Amino acid sequence: MMRDTLLSVENLSVDFTSYGRTRQVLRDVSFAVAAGERVALIGETGSGKSVTAKAIIGTLPRNATIRTGQILVEGRNVLDLPRAGREALKGTAFSLIMQDPLSSFNPVFRIGTHLDDVMRFADRRNGIATSRAERRSRIAAVLRRVQLADAERVMNAYPFELSGGMRQRVLIGLALLHQPKLLIADEPGTALDVTTQDEILNLINSLVSEENMALLMITHNLGVVRKVSDRVVVMHHGDIVETGPCRTILSEPAKDYTRALLDAVPALYGPRVIDMAQSDRAPIVRISNLNKIYGRRNGYHAVRDVNLTLREGEIFGLAGESGSGKTTVARMIMGLLRPTSGELMIDAPAPAKGRRLTQIVYQNPGTSLNPKRTVRQTLTLPLKSIGMQGDAREARLIELMGLVRLPQSYLAKYPHELSGGQKQRVAIARALAAEPKILILDEPTAALDVSVQKTVIELLVQLREELGLTYLMISHDLSLMRNFCSRIAVMLRGEIVEEGATPAVFAAPSHPYTRALIAAIPVVSDVEEREKPVVTEEERMRFLVKSTD
Amino acid sequence: MADIKMLDPADRGLSAGYMMWYRFSRNPAAVIGTLILLSVVILAVFAPWLTPYPKHVGSIVDFKARHLPPDAGHWFGTDKAGRDIFSRTVFGLRVSLLLVLGVLGISVPVGTVLGLIAGYVGGWTERLISGLTNVMLAMPPLVMALAVSNLLEPTLMNAMIAITLLWWTWHARLIYSVSKSIASEDYIEAARLAGAGPFHILFREILPNCVAVISVKTTLDAAFVILFGATLSFLGFGVKPPTPDLGSMVADGRQFMPDFWWEVLCPGAAVLYVTLGFNLLGDGLRDMFDVEG
Repeated sequence: MMRDTLLSVENLSVDFTSYGRTRQVLRDVSFAVAAGERVALIGETGSGKSVTAKAIIGTLPRNATIRTGQILVEGRNVLDLPRAGREALKGTAFSLIMQDPLSSFNPVFRIGTHLDDVMRFADRRNGIATSRAERRSRIAAVLRRVQLADAERVMNAYPFELSGGMRQRVLIGLALLHQPKLLIADEPGTALDVTTQDEILNLINSLVSEENMALLMITHNLGVVRKVSDRVVVMHHGDIVETGPCRTILSEPAKDYTRALLDAVPALYGPRVIDMAQSDRAPIVRISNLNKIYGRRNGYHAVRDVNLTLREGEIFGLAGESGSGKTTVARMIMGLLRPTSGELMIDAPAPAKGRRLTQIVYQNPGTSLNPKRTVRQTLTLPLKSIGMQGDAREARLIELMGLVRLPQSYLAKYPHELSGGQKQRVAIARALAAEPKILILDEPTAALDVSVQKTVIELLVQLREELGLTYLMISHDLSLMRNFCSRIAVMLRGEIVEEGATPAVFAAPSHPYTRALIAAIPVVSDVEEREKPVVTEEERMRFLVKSTD
Repeated sequence: MADIKMLDPADRGLSAGYMMWYRFSRNPAAVIGTLILLSVVILAVFAPWLTPYPKHVGSIVDFKARHLPPDAGHWFGTDKAGRDIFSRTVFGLRVSLLLVLGVLGISVPVGTVLGLIAGYVGGWTERLISGLTNVMLAMPPLVMALAVSNLLEPTLMNAMIAITLLWWTWHARLIYSVSKSIASEDYIEAARLAGAGPFHILFREILPNCVAVISVKTTLDAAFVILFGATLSFLGFGVKPPTPDLGSMVADGRQFMPDFWWEVLCPGAAVLYVTLGFNLLGDGLRDMFDVEG
């Protein structure tokens, strides 16, 4: 079936100039989106996928120049259009769904005001006079389309009063106000919990087919690609690596880069899954009836009667979505928070002065390294506090850099000179410097690209073997945990709802919430999709955060 | 997806110093401000050699040369005692810069340290320091300064003390808010877990991240200190005559306005020149460091 081309990007090359140096960030990018077609633009950090989207929308930063190429929307080159003409395309020819549903709203205005503003300006631009009441009923209709049934309440709510999923729904509604022909979505689920992301993707899918819109999805997640696209454009360093039907790209990619990208995605089911060996050594952390209540009276019960045992040498995964209490448990184990009640024992000889039994690797290496301190200064600190000096300290610094596979010369670098993966390696080296027994990994790869995630995880596995460490990994990424953790516990609203050896939990999840979590993970192959556990609608309603109303 | 992210890998390898210099050298405000201040510093330091009548700083009276308008011999004219206003203005710049050095040299470190401590330590210490700061900020600065210099003799030293007593509070409050937000960063907790003591965290982890804010604030403050000092001596609570001070020169010339306008205008313009230099540099630094003022 031939369909009309709605959007066509032809030989687009874009340069960025900063600090007197010009760099090409897009090189001869060409692709097309037909009416009603769903196209995914996929790539890692720095691939140029966002720049491409910005070029289409017309929001490139000032230091960007379009060197060659054209962007045709329904046959007209938008780059030749005057400013006003370009503005007029927004909302009608195409609409944009942003990544972060919270920062897209002004916190002091009600949701209804945001929607009304957009509608009023668009109406004025189209020369239509409308009354407030009439606009309000149109807005309510749009909100109902994005499955926000109680539109009146949503309109009167302030952004912070809605859950992340509801805010994302409102943003989608905002994009739909004027029946655009093309919906551009920039990582619409990335900032959300995995179950909410799943719902949002379902919503986008159904809207696109109902309204017969085309979709340009920008994402770094190959699982998302499989779920919402017919055709895939793979980008890398400003080039298009390959283009093809979604099924072909994901099952038999032609290019090595795409293959490497697919290989880096942790598998949920199938032969690629790695089973971590169980540890039969003595327990090192024993937690019984642990409770944490924040606030004095009628406080928030963040952790409820948690019982856990960590064995020496194992990789224990604590899974759960935001607000489940997993981070609170980890902080109590580290001694950063005091439990309200319950027992928490670490079976290890008391550490020498300046040493700790536990150390942590934070989620975002961008914020866990002081930007004003060199790698050497960062790593020297823990060595200094255990009293290591002179040559011994220097030798240990070199040893640490070797452990995390970084060249010695990087000791002199500042964090801004390192890539995300390199920064995370420095953070791991810092955590290991004073030889802890237990390493807490707080979503250690959530801020990294999938190919970088793979190398960091490999490093962590090797380090555990070399140094005999015990890991406690906190994450919401169940497919990663499937391959990395030997045992796993799932937390929901402060309680552990399921616990066991990882292969067993994934083979037969007993709690409906675990099933819902696993089912929501975007996977890259149909085989895996079929192996996912089944969740009934009733179970979904019971355990998932409501994002519809 | 921020475009910064896109540029990041490419910009890696550029040193922080180079990026700073790049932004500075392309910022006209910062460059002009620096040139102005450079000229002021050179004039002030080498005043005895650069001025035509360095002796006119003292109590010299030359009635024949009273109230001469600006000409080739006296660029800024002469005052009621026949002294060269240009020479006195240049020496007045010296006094102004000394005042800035004295006031900011004490109040910036004091305010910074108190602010850092209040922001990081928290609790009782935080309440005490911010309470004290708020009380000090509640006093009208001019009244306070007048009271202090009234109690003490009106000299440059005492004017400095009076201004310093007020000035540290602004820095304390600013650094307090910066320090408080930095204290909640992951890297501060990581440093604590690595065994760092409070001293290390305050001065090695938090302070380096405040440098940008401090330098912008200090530069902009220098302008205010000069204005404030000029105000005090205009009111007669500043530097003792015959030491030339821009504020008291304006005050002296005021009675002869508008006939001998140069006696007010020239020292006044000098105040404007220095203040402008500091303000331009401060704004330039702010753009360069990209901090909120």
